Amino acid sequence: MTHKERPDLLQGTLDMLVLKALQLGAMHGWGITERLEQWSDNILQLGQGTLYPALYRLERQGLIRSSWKVTENNRRARYYTLTASGRRYFEEELTHWKRLSRAVELILQASSA
Amino acid sequence: MIEFLRRLGTLFRRSRVENGLDEEIRFHIEQQTAKNIRAGMSPDQARRAALLRFGGVERIKEATRDEFRAGWLEDAGRDLRYGVRALLRAPGFASVSILTLGLGVGAATAVFSVVNGVLLKPLAYPEPDRIVRLFQIDGNGRRMQAASEPNFEDWKNGTRSFRAMAEMSPGPAPVVVRGQSAMIPGAGVSREFFDVMGLRPVIGRGFDESEQRVGGTPAAVVSYRFWQNRLAGTSIEGQTLRTGTTTYQIVGVMPQGFDYPAASEYWVPRELRPPQRARTAHNWQVVARLADGVPLPVARADISALSRSLKARYGDDTWMFDATAIPLREQLTATSRTSVLMLFGAALMLLVIACLNVSNLLLARVANRRREMAVRLAIGAGTWRIARQLLAEALVLCVAGGVAGLLIAFAGVRALVALQPGNLPRIDNVAIDWTAMIFALAVSVMAAVILTMAATLRTGDRDLKCELAESQRMSAGGRASQRVREVLSVSQVALTLVLLIGAGLLVRSFVHVLTVDPGYRIDRALILDLTSPTYPDDDDACRRYLAFQHDLLSRLQALPAVSNVALVNDFPLGGGWYANGQFFEMSRPDEFKSYDDVRALGEEAKARAGFAGFRIASEHYFRVMGIPLIRGRVFNESDGFDAPHVAVISESLAKTKWPGQDPLGRFIQFGNMDGDVRGLRIVGIVGDVREITPESSPGALFYAHSRQRIASRFSVIVRGQPEESIASAARQILRQLNPDMPVQTRRVEEAFDRALAGRRFNLLLIGVFSVSALLLAMLGIYGLISYLVAQRTKEIGIRMALGASSRDLLRLILGKGATLALLGIGAGTIVALGLTRLVQGLLYEVTARDPIAFGGVAAVTLAAVIVASYLPARRALKVPPVDSLRV
Repeated sequence: MTHKERPDLLQGTLDMLVLKALQLGAMHGWGITERLEQWSDNILQLGQGTLYPALYRLERQGLIRSSWKVTENNRRARYYTLTASGRRYFEEELTHWKRLSRAVELILQASSA
Repeated sequence: MIEFLRRLGTLFRRSRVENGLDEEIRFHIEQQTAKNIRAGMSPDQARRAALLRFGGVERIKEATRDEFRAGWLEDAGRDLRYGVRALLRAPGFASVSILTLGLGVGAATAVFSVVNGVLLKPLAYPEPDRIVRLFQIDGNGRRMQAASEPNFEDWKNGTRSFRAMAEMSPGPAPVVVRGQSAMIPGAGVSREFFDVMGLRPVIGRGFDESEQRVGGTPAAVVSYRFWQNRLAGTSIEGQTLRTGTTTYQIVGVMPQGFDYPAASEYWVPRELRPPQRARTAHNWQVVARLADGVPLPVARADISALSRSLKARYGDDTWMFDATAIPLREQLTATSRTSVLMLFGAALMLLVIACLNVSNLLLARVANRRREMAVRLAIGAGTWRIARQLLAEALVLCVAGGVAGLLIAFAGVRALVALQPGNLPRIDNVAIDWTAMIFALAVSVMAAVILTMAATLRTGDRDLKCELAESQRMSAGGRASQRVREVLSVSQVALTLVLLIGAGLLVRSFVHVLTVDPGYRIDRALILDLTSPTYPDDDDACRRYLAFQHDLLSRLQALPAVSNVALVNDFPLGGGWYANGQFFEMSRPDEFKSYDDVRALGEEAKARAGFAGFRIASEHYFRVMGIPLIRGRVFNESDGFDAPHVAVISESLAKTKWPGQDPLGRFIQFGNMDGDVRGLRIVGIVGDVREITPESSPGALFYAHSRQRIASRFSVIVRGQPEESIASAARQILRQLNPDMPVQTRRVEEAFDRALAGRRFNLLLIGVFSVSALLLAMLGIYGLISYLVAQRTKEIGIRMALGASSRDLLRLILGKGATLALLGIGAGTIVALGLTRLVQGLLYEVTARDPIAFGGVAAVTLAAVIVASYLPARRALKVPPVDSLRV
């Protein structure tokens, strides 16, 4: 199966995905990439490093919070969690995204009819 | 609030990007590598694949760093732009705040420049903190104005704490340079003077050995200003200056700006004149440079110990009981330190009051936007973000206020320097420079931070959620905000009170100074200050000199415009030497002919000794000056050069030296002053005179007749109209009689002005500050009462509908204002009682707790606050209850 190695992802979209990934619970950076790749059925293969600037940005905006914890293998890693504002922000953006994609879908269907 | 501080902290934690990120990325790569190994790759392959999947590690780190930078700047920029727009939408609030802040910052910065220039900036000499002035201390523990040469020599040779020590004798003298004669300030300085100051001539050279001994070639070193103005910047080769009978070769020019001591423009070696052997002839000021590595206290102890041992050795032959060393800068600024610091304190108070005002306004604004902020909180903005926006607004306000303040400060400093108050030394150092600008900026930023903190004090999550649930009525948070505003207003009133009390005390001092009786009555007169270039040394020269003086007087008297003429060696209102010295009473007119005769008396000499200012006056002097004759007579024509010498003494001298006895007819020897050992018989007692400024206490004065004693420096007092033509006629006469004698004219009114200039300057500044403070406080009260009234419009409407008269309601509202005022007055009075003690030195005939000042100011403040409360109250009462009750 061919797929683009690095699909174009708008910054906002990546943010949303990260927030979604964290909805389930705290996770470190690597864990987030794993999760996203699993869920997208490996269609989405992010250049994994692009995650980190995004994580920094999200934390700065107060949507996520980080703290150092110890993994099951006794390694130190930085874990991220959603904040209350992050949760709210995600709900808003999700609603917005759904409406947008519905509209796009409608338009595309309309022109082919 | 804590969130605010935490976020403020994260702004500066760049290190997070570096430390944590490294470890985080390493962890990520390791995990991916492990996964790849589980999938079957070899460790090497796994790692390479992981790195490939990750992307360039350095690039990612850079991208994260950029996020940090961009984010910070982007957020800041956005907030600032938002702040500016918000302020533009409220131009009234913005302009009032900016002007208020500008006033506060401007005043503080202007006075700070003065503090900096006068007190803080180091002197322009190499290692200026190592230069000290040495002073003798008398039996009363007071510093003496000058030291004697033998004491100086002993200091120089007997101490080890000083690298160099020199004596100086500064003073203006009539100098002829390039054919022009003028009074030029200069100084005789001893050998090590330039070593003490640490400066060498920039043109030419200093003195060499052959010029620094009795009978040596007279040489002079001149100041840069002298070289520019009087020599037109030409080569000094062959140029000379003449004073008295000595012509000095000009051999060097000092660096620009050097004019120590006393604005000197030329320096000559002291060693040209024979040494003074009298240990009690105090004519020298001593300056020294500390030896390397010797701290000041050690040097002080050194010279103190030496001086005390000198006292032990010489006993009554020296009047020095102890000695001390004072750093030069401190000594130069000592007299003005109190007033400068007081002005600075006052300016800071004004700044705080201005900030309180703006704080009040800001709080009011915040209160108005509570709903807006509550909504924003509800949709997810953090309290930090709201606080950040408020901070941005406050910052824009404060920086704009700071810029306005700088402009005000520029103008202010220009005005201050132009006022030229005589009491501020080093005033040319005062200017708005980088230090002042940084000060202004720092103050503005601090004000912004404090204001924001004050405004967001109660902007917590919970309070704003309550806010949403409320209607127009005051919520719990609103009440708290109102409390804060009331406290702010009370503080404003308190501080204003302190300033006003300061002003009140200064005003009362000033009025006292103006109304004090100086002992003489002369309102309009011309004063000619003259100095003879030579001192007549034999009888013939004396006769000729006296003839010249009286020729001058009679020619001036003969001018049609002139009504009265008199002469004195030290005019009371400044400009003289104020010579004083020790005299001895004799039982016969020729009992003592020398100091040894006095010593022969032994113990009795002490009883015969006295101390007084030595004045020489013409016979009409007392009449012209309006000094009353109390007993006996003043000088007349019969007291000529060959007649027995007579004297007139001041009342206080009579009372202190001869209490209960009659001084008339006694014989006095005052040879200490001019070497003339002829006795003087006291023939009259005149009223006391306050010399130099009207504030000084009347001193013991001893007047000799100008026909009998030589006054080489003297002032001629000319009464008549118009003064300009008299001045030019006088110059002509003088040119005919004695062209080498420079003359300076001044008017009595100017002299009075100059004497009061310092006091007037202080009063003006404090007056401006305190009136501004009062206006600001009134503005604050006005704003607060308006707000309170607006909040309670409904309540007022109900009361009116129920029958309350406007008078009752007025009393209610004014009562609120008065309560605030009384609280402020109370607090301010307590603070003032503590603080005014510090400025006692600036007051005249007024105690630091003067009840009239305190009471008067309290009354004025109360009245002002009531007026400020009255206006909004009246406005509210005009609204008919029907309108206010309408929802």
